[in-house]
Amino acid sequence: MRRTGLVLAIALVLVLLLPATAFAKTTVADIKLAVDTVWVIVAACLVLFMQAGFAMLEVGFSRMKNVGSVVAKILANMGIGIVVFWAVGFAIAFGTGNAFVGTEGWFTHAAPDAVNRVFSGLSWTEVPLSAKFLFQVAFALVSLAIVWGTMLERTKFAVYCIFAVVFAGFIYPTVGHWIWGGGWLSGLGMQDFAGSTVVHLQGAVAALAGTLLLGPRIGKYDDEGRPQIIPGHNMPLAVLGVIILWIGWWGFNPGSTMAAVGAPFADIALTTNLAAGAGVLGAMVVSYIHRRHVDVGMLGNGALAALVAITAACAFVAPWASIVIGFVAGAIMYLTLIYVDRIRVDDPLGAIASHGMGGIWGTLSTGLFATPALVRSTGVGDPGLLYGGGFHQLGVQALGIICAGGFTFVTSYIVFAILKATIGLRVKPDQELNGLDISEHGVYGYAESLVATDNYPANGNPFATARMQGELWRDR
Amino acid sequence: MERPIAQATAHNNYIVNVYSDRVELVGGWQQQKLEKIPLREIADVRVRGFVNCTLAIANNAGRIYRFEKLALPDANEIKNAIVRQRRKAGLFE
Repeated sequence: MRRTGLVLAIALVLVLLLPATAFAKTTVADIKLAVDTVWVIVAACLVLFMQAGFAMLEVGFSRMKNVGSVVAKILANMGIGIVVFWAVGFAIAFGTGNAFVGTEGWFTHAAPDAVNRVFSGLSWTEVPLSAKFLFQVAFALVSLAIVWGTMLERTKFAVYCIFAVVFAGFIYPTVGHWIWGGGWLSGLGMQDFAGSTVVHLQGAVAALAGTLLLGPRIGKYDDEGRPQIIPGHNMPLAVLGVIILWIGWWGFNPGSTMAAVGAPFADIALTTNLAAGAGVLGAMVVSYIHRRHVDVGMLGNGALAALVAITAACAFVAPWASIVIGFVAGAIMYLTLIYVDRIRVDDPLGAIASHGMGGIWGTLSTGLFATPALVRSTGVGDPGLLYGGGFHQLGVQALGIICAGGFTFVTSYIVFAILKATIGLRVKPDQELNGLDISEHGVYGYAESLVATDNYPANGNPFATARMQGELWRDR
Repeated sequence: MERPIAQATAHNNYIVNVYSDRVELVGGWQQQKLEKIPLREIADVRVRGFVNCTLAIANNAGRIYRFEKLALPDANEIKNAIVRQRRKAGLFE
């Protein structure tokens, strides 16, 4: 009993003394740095979690026979993207260099006392280099994931892998340097707080380039060229993906402050979420007017388009403006989706409409709605047109869209064209009709008995029966 | 059942299948159209273009079947398969 009392007394003394010793040399600056770093790492986790959202979204909008290839592609791209961005992408985007590319900091390396000199593009935030990298690579992976949403269900796996190297290692970082890394567009004062242009528009434009060369899925257009609906197999999964993405945006936009102490991340979270809600409403209203029913996929894309749109503007606009931005984004996403479908660009996910048009509208909207007070506190660009800032900021935003979009389209088109001329972009017809899971990955995403293919005798093809008996292309 | 030696997807839902003795052209929204061309009736096969290739198959009656927007490796595979099978068939005759 006496011994227990002694142990308790010693423990109590230690509990009282140790924290005092530990904090004896800790300054307020240290605590601020620790809090900022924790916030950036948490935000990076949220942004990385968006990959799960993309996976569920793509799985939901795919047919059952292709879901295995979708998740395999997501994992492969994460692996390639992280390594390539670490090796070269981060240096090109944020390394010190010229107005067009960064030329220092290869392999994300800098001497401890030279980090801000080597990576001048991110010298405005004090968190450690590893935290900066982890946050930024999560963004690069999001942009890369957007590319593949339009090319689902018919693309060779090798194409995903090869393009991922070029995109994460050169295309994305180059535009990132122009706008975020101290390049020529940031010099002009372009406002793209969390990446409507850098992340989303780039991904969508690269997707457009790839889809134009890839062509639509077999059966997407009928004999008169009219688009046919190829429904995804699981809308709840698609909506789960949207909600995961929505939650991920809590890291995407508010986390782009890359600091917690004294940063307006709560205000940014507010504008982000208001816009997302308004985006759902915008898509819902237009969907009902057009079709007299509320399309689930359109609601999801409405939320995503709004989130994309507010990404550029989240730190520059008032809450009421974020609602306008989100509502308009949801509406124009719907109209763009229908237009894209009609011009024979087969986009199963609607990524060109939600990320592309959402990115364009969001980037322009900053030039309209940016308030003088928030522009002053952020220190980037000028107030928007509606606040008496004139057309200057709107012009800079438009120039950024044209140049970033143009560069991404041309370079992506060249890469996809080379791939089409060498290894081909598209799987064999039998692989596409039987699903990519077996031919590309040797396993079904779902149990084999559940998976329906497009080859059934009733479709009039005399060879369908043979295919139904399990004679897959790979079995030759 | 017989499986194709070479196969490619072309623009407008067209599928070109090469078998040991014939080429089958499958078309239509739900692959409801089918046309068979025996290899001995094929007069010429040409590939034009580099990125979006056009595959042209001409038969002895002078009819030309054109398939657009093929990838170069796919178009070449079809052409080579037809040429190879025709050569083989010639050996047997």
